[in-house]
Amino acid sequence: MEVRVNPTRMELNRLKKRLKMAERGHKLLKDKRDELIRQFLILVRKNKELREEIEKELSGAFAQFLLARAVMPSVILEEALMYPTKKLCLEIHKQNIMSVYAPKFTWVEEESTQGEESSIYPYGFVETTAELDSSIETLSAVLSRLMELAEVEKAVQLLAEEIEKTRRRVNALEYVLIPKLAETLKYISMKLDENERGALTRLMKIKDVVRAKM
Amino acid sequence: MVISDQTVYAYAVGRVRALETRLLDRGRLERMIEAATADEALKVLAESDYAGAVGELADLYDFEQLLAAELKNVFKTVLRISPAPDQIAILALRYDVHNLKVLFKEKYLGLKSDLLIDAGTLDHENLQYAVNEDDFRDLPEQLRKASEKISEEFLLNRNPQMIDIAFDQALYSRLLAETARLKSEFLTGLFTRQIDLINLKSLIRVKRMRFDRDFLRKVLLLGGRLTPERFILLVDEPLEALITSLAMTDYADLIAEGVRDWIERGSAARLEKLSDDFISAYLKRSKWTPFGPEPLIGYLWAKEMEINNIRLILVGKINKLPAEAIRERLRDGYL
Repeated sequence: MEVRVNPTRMELNRLKKRLKMAERGHKLLKDKRDELIRQFLILVRKNKELREEIEKELSGAFAQFLLARAVMPSVILEEALMYPTKKLCLEIHKQNIMSVYAPKFTWVEEESTQGEESSIYPYGFVETTAELDSSIETLSAVLSRLMELAEVEKAVQLLAEEIEKTRRRVNALEYVLIPKLAETLKYISMKLDENERGALTRLMKIKDVVRAKM
Repeated sequence: MVISDQTVYAYAVGRVRALETRLLDRGRLERMIEAATADEALKVLAESDYAGAVGELADLYDFEQLLAAELKNVFKTVLRISPAPDQIAILALRYDVHNLKVLFKEKYLGLKSDLLIDAGTLDHENLQYAVNEDDFRDLPEQLRKASEKISEEFLLNRNPQMIDIAFDQALYSRLLAETARLKSEFLTGLFTRQIDLINLKSLIRVKRMRFDRDFLRKVLLLGGRLTPERFILLVDEPLEALITSLAMTDYADLIAEGVRDWIERGSAARLEKLSDDFISAYLKRSKWTPFGPEPLIGYLWAKEMEINNIRLILVGKINKLPAEAIRERLRDGYL
């Protein structure tokens, strides 16, 4: 499965250069892959920790919310939560992890009012059940960590993609391109040697002929 | 309209007695709780007066519509048979207030929703017009004042909680003003008790949210049997002080049990159930008044509790809540 080339010395030099380049690329990519995996593992661990924590808190908050939901008519519940007190302004920047551009979130809470009125509770107390309070409190506390989780999770996803790509490249170099080049090189040098030997025998033959005539 | 001759209630009371027998009893609710799935709970419900409505239900998850329609019908029926509909109409006022809250929030958010409740007394279109055009002339006085206050202040501080608080205050001052006008001691008793229980709950909630007494002062409803000052004094005290401080009132038992449970388990469920049961007990005392609006009002309340119980069970069943969690929130029947 060698490359079809003209077995010339020029081609040989060209291919030698390519092989060298491929080997260097292979080494670099392998380093990149290792580093990516290291980064990936760090992030994955962080992600797992965050996710487990948040899921625990959220499932608690959802359970409380469900109870609040069970003792309130849905329209009254929705009216209570219809107008949020807080606005979150999210800015997305890029951060470079091994030339993978992962999003970096920064957020500012825009508050509608000052003082104790800037509470997280957008509803009055007459029609709502007290069971709603604690679930809203948990949900609001968990929000900033939720964003952190989103950031980490996206980075992990992008890194995973990049690792896959890099690994495929490394493998392509290692198992396809480099052996192919090496084989072609071998083929050319053998062909050249063959030619040389052919020329040599031809010369010797001619020498014999010339000598016989003398 | 003040009715001196209470015998005009003979028909209405008779009618309500007949309707009362069709309320769901504890046994049926218990069977719904014991049902394995939400569908089966619904089947139990279909054996009762709800048969027709359940039959028309396309999807289990639409049960809220069923309950909303039932609420509307109940109010319509009682309004129709009552010789003094204005006594009944004020009970529907909280739905008008709910609608006003929704419309104001819709206006400030610039969106439409489908959260209006049909059981109210004021027409949705008129309310919509009033809110959109800032023309509150046709609203009852207290609601008009609250609306004016909101339309002046909201754009300055953008605090949605203020909308709810202003309207809640307006609702109860309206209710008290109306009952005073109607000279109905029974209704005054009902609303003042409701105010006390709401204030009590607000106090604990404000304490839990760690807000100060100024905030509590804004939230507390006026006109209850206990003055707001009694609650305000308790803001900085531990919750246990509440139990002793209110031990000499009618609410002693419910506070002792409900608040203790709240302290121990951090859940308001017990106190809220006991509060509703307290109101039920109050209404039950006048249940056997032969002529008068009391049985009608009692029936409306009973029906509201029944609807809440059905919602609780269905939500619980759909989400596979443990039967115990449902049972401890189930309100007592009126029967």
